[in-house]
Amino acid sequence: MFRTLNTNIRIFLQGAYLSYVALFAWIQPAHYLATKVMGPFFYMIFFVLMGAYISGRNDASFYVIGNAMQAAALSGIYGVSMSIDGDRWGGTLIYLFGTPANRLALFLGRAFMHLLDGILGVIIGLVWGVLIFKLDLSQTNFLALALVITTTVFSTAGMGLMLGCLGLITRNVMLVNNTIFFLLLVFSGANVEVSSLPAWAQTISSMVPLTRGIAAARLVIDGQSLAMVWPLLQGEFLVGVIYAAIGFLMFRQFEIIAIRRGTLEAF
Amino acid sequence: MNVIEVSNLRRVYNANVGAIRRSHKEIVAVDGISFHIEGGELFGLLGPNGAGKTTTVKMLTTMLIPTDGSIRILGLDVVRDAKKLRSRIGFIYGGERGLYWRLSGIDNLRYFGSLYHLDPQATRKRIPELLEMVGLSERGEEKVEGYSRGMKQRLHVARALLHDPEVLFLDEPTLGLDPVGARDLRTIIRNLQAENKTILLTTHYMLEADALCQRIAVINKGKIVAEGSPAELKSIVSDLSVIEVEVFGSVDDFLPTLRAQSFVDALSIENREQKQVLLIQSPAGAEAVSPLLGLLAGVRVGKVIVREPTLEDAYIRLVEEDV
Ligand SMILES: Nc1ncnc2c1ncn2[C@@H]1O[C@H](COP(=O)(O)OP(=O)(O)OP(=O)(O)O)[C@@H](O)[C@H]1O
Ligand SMILES: [Mg+2]
Repeated sequence: MFRTLNTNIRIFLQGAYLSYVALFAWIQPAHYLATKVMGPFFYMIFFVLMGAYISGRNDASFYVIGNAMQAAALSGIYGVSMSIDGDRWGGTLIYLFGTPANRLALFLGRAFMHLLDGILGVIIGLVWGVLIFKLDLSQTNFLALALVITTTVFSTAGMGLMLGCLGLITRNVMLVNNTIFFLLLVFSGANVEVSSLPAWAQTISSMVPLTRGIAAARLVIDGQSLAMVWPLLQGEFLVGVIYAAIGFLMFRQFEIIAIRRGTLEAF
Repeated sequence: MNVIEVSNLRRVYNANVGAIRRSHKEIVAVDGISFHIEGGELFGLLGPNGAGKTTTVKMLTTMLIPTDGSIRILGLDVVRDAKKLRSRIGFIYGGERGLYWRLSGIDNLRYFGSLYHLDPQATRKRIPELLEMVGLSERGEEKVEGYSRGMKQRLHVARALLHDPEVLFLDEPTLGLDPVGARDLRTIIRNLQAENKTILLTTHYMLEADALCQRIAVINKGKIVAEGSPAELKSIVSDLSVIEVEVFGSVDDFLPTLRAQSFVDALSIENREQKQVLLIQSPAGAEAVSPLLGLLAGVRVGKVIVREPTLEDAYIRLVEEDV
């Protein structure tokens, strides 16, 4: 029992680090800087100016927090799905599935570093907010904020796991990712009040990651307590678990079908 | 004792044909083959492109489900006991893909070590031994993207050996290597056999099969057309002679007539620089030369040689026979 657990933890951790280095295309410093450091900065400027212009509201913090949190999806969605889908391109899939390794440990391991990376991404976004838009953190409970950020990154990673599998199946992960990322920009409430969306759109908002996390982040930064946002956090966590579970089922199914049809090496 | 038992193995692929009006086409890649391999044996599966070698190896290594028939390895069924079997076999599918190019050779091995449930201490000890064995000791720390093709293929061998498997499947291990690289890899394979591993190797190089294997099965169009030791296979053509005729210019128009002659048992063409060489297997030996040249009237003919058949001639005969 313990031995198996130990082995699976090792598959998870070693896979976490090595798969991140091996499969994440943005790991080169220049690329990383452009997408993860400068990216959120430009999003933020764009939406703060646009938003202020359209809504006439003077409150930059709404957009600053929304876009800082949206940075979670950069890691959660692009990073994680690239790490899942990447094995197809390198031809490593057939060797990976040829091992007796526990598939859940293997699968979740590929997301782990992106969690850390995503948390860092949100922090970078918030730092930009403080530096440029004078985001006020004086009322913030940082422990609560840390929990909000971690949960949100987790839920986007859950979706990334699913999208990565979709990428394995459709062989076009980037198209899927880009579509989802931009849909999230709208539906998650990063740049519009969810309550101002039409009812059907609000239904979508309630089913995607980020929505509850962004709402919670705004409340916590505004000085609300952890207890106040706890239900939002639970919801956000559950969304992540559901997507990750769907992703894992797809991953298993993909392996079984590919071995039956002989498509493991098709790309 | 038989370590591998294959009986009536068949595999049919469903291929999509046409991009717009999609239809399905059935491709019979492996068509009812049976063979067995004993413990410690080095067995060669020899066949031309598209013969079904890779398809067979994929089924043997649990990575493809047979359409029909059965495979037992070490007493385990490849479909039902796939997971158990995976920790006892090692495999490479040839070529340089299938490694994490952005990781070092050592990190590739470390990662696969954990996937094979190896104890980290044991892996740490084993990696330098394996690198030594495949001649990569000096380069293990470097990223794989900087490796030459031969180095990548040797790293694959090390990866396949990490968990010290009892049975090893090598699908065209020397594919694309230069003569020296191929020879080095063959030495490695020979050493593995000395460690008493059971090895199945596929290749389309006759000489490689001859040099390495105790037994060879020749596979063509999904069927095994002959099986035996290299010497036994050579005896298939022992009653024949081979006539090599150098010709300049196209002889395609003559081929049907030549093939129809009673003294021509098999005919193939080799391209050598500007000239072509007709290889004719004939029971008539030297007697056949003058009628042959008569039939080639109008063709510029160079050297003509009559010689004893080799294993390669046996191979050519086997894969040409049912064309
Ligand atoms: N995934 C697949 N889908 C459809 N057809 C396939 C698939 N894989 C192989 N085939 C077909 O099955 C046949 C046997 O292919 P296979 O790759 O087993 O041959 P091989 O002996 O390994 O050839 P080579 O020497 O070129 O590697 C070929 O006709 C090939 O086109
Ligand atoms: Mg092949």
